[in-house]
Amino acid sequence: MASYRKKMLAVAAAASMSVALAACGGGSDNGSKSPGGSSDSAKGGTLYYYIFAALEHTDPQRTYVGRDITNWSRTVYRSLVTFPISDDAKVSTTPVPDLATDTGQSSNGAKTWKFTVKDGVKWEDGKPITCEDFKYGASRVFATDIITGGPNYIITYLDIPEDPKTHLPIYTGPYQSSPEGKAAFDKAITCDGNTITYNFKKPWADFPLAVASLHMMDPYRADKDQGDKSNYQIFSNGPYKLEGTWDKQKGGTLVRNPNYDPSTDSTDIRKALPDKITFDIGKTAEQITDQMIADSGQDKFAVTERRVPAAYYSQITGDIAKRAVTVTSPYTDYVVPNFKRMTNLQVRQALAASTDDTGWVTAGGGEKAYEESHDIVNPAVKGYQSDLFPAGAGDPEKSKQLLQQAGVQMPYPITFTYPSTATADKQAAALKAGWEKGGFKVTLNGVANQDAYYTDIQKPDQKADVIWAGWGADWPSAITVTAPLFDSRPNLTKNSNGQDYGAYDSDEFNALVDQAQNATDLDQQTQFLQQADQVLAKDVAYIPVDNAIFYFLHGSGVKNYMNTAASNGFPDLGPVGVK
Amino acid sequence: MSLPESQLERLETTVPVDVGDPEAVLGKSPTQLAMGRFRRDKLSMAAFVVVAVYSVGAVLAPVMVKLNVIDPLKLNQNLLDPSLGSIPKAKWGGISLAHPLGIVPGTGTDLLSRLWYGVTFSLTIALAASVLAIVIGTVLGIIGGFTGGWTDSVIGRFVDLTLSFPSTLMLLALSATGVALAAKVLPGSGSDPLPNGFYEVLVLGLFGWPPICRLIRGQVLSIREREFIDAAKLLGASRRRLYFKEILPNLWAPVLVSFTLTMPAYISAEAALSYLGVGIHPPTPTLGNILVDSINYSVADFTYFFFPALLIAVIVVSFNLLGDGLRDALDPKADR
Repeated sequence: MASYRKKMLAVAAAASMSVALAACGGGSDNGSKSPGGSSDSAKGGTLYYYIFAALEHTDPQRTYVGRDITNWSRTVYRSLVTFPISDDAKVSTTPVPDLATDTGQSSNGAKTWKFTVKDGVKWEDGKPITCEDFKYGASRVFATDIITGGPNYIITYLDIPEDPKTHLPIYTGPYQSSPEGKAAFDKAITCDGNTITYNFKKPWADFPLAVASLHMMDPYRADKDQGDKSNYQIFSNGPYKLEGTWDKQKGGTLVRNPNYDPSTDSTDIRKALPDKITFDIGKTAEQITDQMIADSGQDKFAVTERRVPAAYYSQITGDIAKRAVTVTSPYTDYVVPNFKRMTNLQVRQALAASTDDTGWVTAGGGEKAYEESHDIVNPAVKGYQSDLFPAGAGDPEKSKQLLQQAGVQMPYPITFTYPSTATADKQAAALKAGWEKGGFKVTLNGVANQDAYYTDIQKPDQKADVIWAGWGADWPSAITVTAPLFDSRPNLTKNSNGQDYGAYDSDEFNALVDQAQNATDLDQQTQFLQQADQVLAKDVAYIPVDNAIFYFLHGSGVKNYMNTAASNGFPDLGPVGVK
Repeated sequence: MSLPESQLERLETTVPVDVGDPEAVLGKSPTQLAMGRFRRDKLSMAAFVVVAVYSVGAVLAPVMVKLNVIDPLKLNQNLLDPSLGSIPKAKWGGISLAHPLGIVPGTGTDLLSRLWYGVTFSLTIALAASVLAIVIGTVLGIIGGFTGGWTDSVIGRFVDLTLSFPSTLMLLALSATGVALAAKVLPGSGSDPLPNGFYEVLVLGLFGWPPICRLIRGQVLSIREREFIDAAKLLGASRRRLYFKEILPNLWAPVLVSFTLTMPAYISAEAALSYLGVGIHPPTPTLGNILVDSINYSVADFTYFFFPALLIAVIVVSFNLLGDGLRDALDPKADR
């Protein structure tokens, strides 16, 4: 459930190259250039940020889209710890103190975490940020009927007893909860002056990573909370604040926050150079690209989250090319065999062997749109292994041999389900051609109604043999990739396959996930996760097809333009200036 | 049985006629007169030839695919440049001897093959939807116009109701359920052309009949007052006989004209629906889904955009000219 929202968005993005990418977590800046990255920029001016689709939330606890998480981190929502600005992916995915004095102290086998809130940090109305504000922010996550759409890891981690009937915590959020629930929550998160303590029921070795990657642990002022009505409210504690209100269809403008004290912050996290930042919603990728190419008026000072459509690549030459950046994004696309239908291991191996990854990437627009993938875990994420899948154009001969050994009918009929867009249709055609060379007979099932795509593929009785899906790590650890996608226990129920679309069910894999989750040490955890991923590869639980590449243009007046791992590959608002 | 133009002109203008050539005077049915008029209209004849060429092409395409002369699905990704958004490496959209109209960016499939086969699907959809709309429209128009009274009112209000539906919106909103339902009845699913095409035909036809119904009803109102209808009634002809044996044969002119004007409307509708994501999806080609994909490439790969646009424009214009020409020929008194 936690990552459902994020995946839903990720799919559309990867498939259409035009819808907002979601999810959170670390990215990579492999191959990222930062033109003018070293040049100095002065304060002042207005920066424009072009966005295609309306944001679903600006509420910190409900924000789950990678682009928004980092935009808010750099401008209005500070967290206990956060990721710094850096071209080096290692640095920019290592948490640094933000509102807290350090990156947290763990005890009790990573089951208890302690942070101290800095002195002198204030809300936009001048009131100090207290430990109670953090506690209140975390409490909102438990109101799962009102605060929807956001990540809710803490519901499963925080040490609160479960209701035996619903298997949900007895605490149900600040709006309505039983006294026992409230008492249990007060015990799980405690405040001692400026020191906040989190008590978990299982070890959470990478808790600071989760805090830095998401806004679920952000402070929230109880007197500003109107539940769902606060969905588009921005009550800032960062260098900017919202001017007027946020218009869902058009966006909004951030102006300087007079109550922000730069001495409590670091320029490694936010330089806050522009005087104003305007978020402009509603332009298509084609419109944005046309404007960026023309580079006139306010477009000179604009950045965007829209990838340049493949049809425009040939126009990006000369001076325009200097304003173009390619970044490896934290998002991976993959296909899963349906284990209820493709029960024969050799058939699945044949499928993997004949997968034409090169064709998929070429059909998707080539090397500026995608790169071939070897692992469902993105190269930027801890636990990545480059030797799990060979990628390339596939080996049809090997595939045929495997099918013959399996003794199945040839050509072996399969149905491939994917969300249909102009680009995805071409990519599917490329996969189909490869598989058919390898001895399969492929029926393509392109789902036109993308809003319902993930609901469709979660149905346990679905007829697809092979299913497309996309994913981005919530924070840069494989524990937010393979575990939520292939652990059968939380996923498979009578009515839904959850995120385990192929109904993969392996005790060997589940045991390794348990070992990883209970590991108190990050390296040890990564080892277990890598073993678990090898089990998946051995069983062909998935076949990775690409890592999405971000190809962005920006205006000529934008200085210090960077796409960092901290910003999930999107333009990083931390360093950027327009003067 | 055609008549040299000069003679025909004489026939119409000078009475009595030259008796020296009795054949020229005798045996001129209204149809033959109309054909004559049509043939003299050079523009309509040209349009007719174009429509005929498309139709023959549409019929031949599946045969050509079977015989492997054209292959709308074969990938040629080696001809693409992956560093430039996978557009063809060669200039002019990759036009070569093997690919006379170039290749499709991304997949490298042969554009000529895709367009040719696409004409088959587009024309089939337009034809099926037109036939559906005309059958419904004509039958209801005859019944309403002939019966009059209460039945006519009901049908008339039903026409108004259908016209007041936002059909495009309905088509979009119901597409997922509609296609799923169609897929249950028909073999295949998803990207298979059958369920999507079936749904498209059904909706276009079900929302396209009202204008035809109104037109036919108007015609029937005048026909039903004619003597031969009274005669048939007196002879005790059944209602069914009256509708389909007495009235229908007198309606073929407006039906034919409606048909030639509905076809181009549905060919463009197919393209518009592809743009909205309803309809047949690639890899099965239709003129619409090829055009929709090619629009994005109007700058990067103009040839890819040019040919599908040209093909759609030519067939739509031709059908419209043909329709106009037929109307003029069949009903020369009509005021244009």
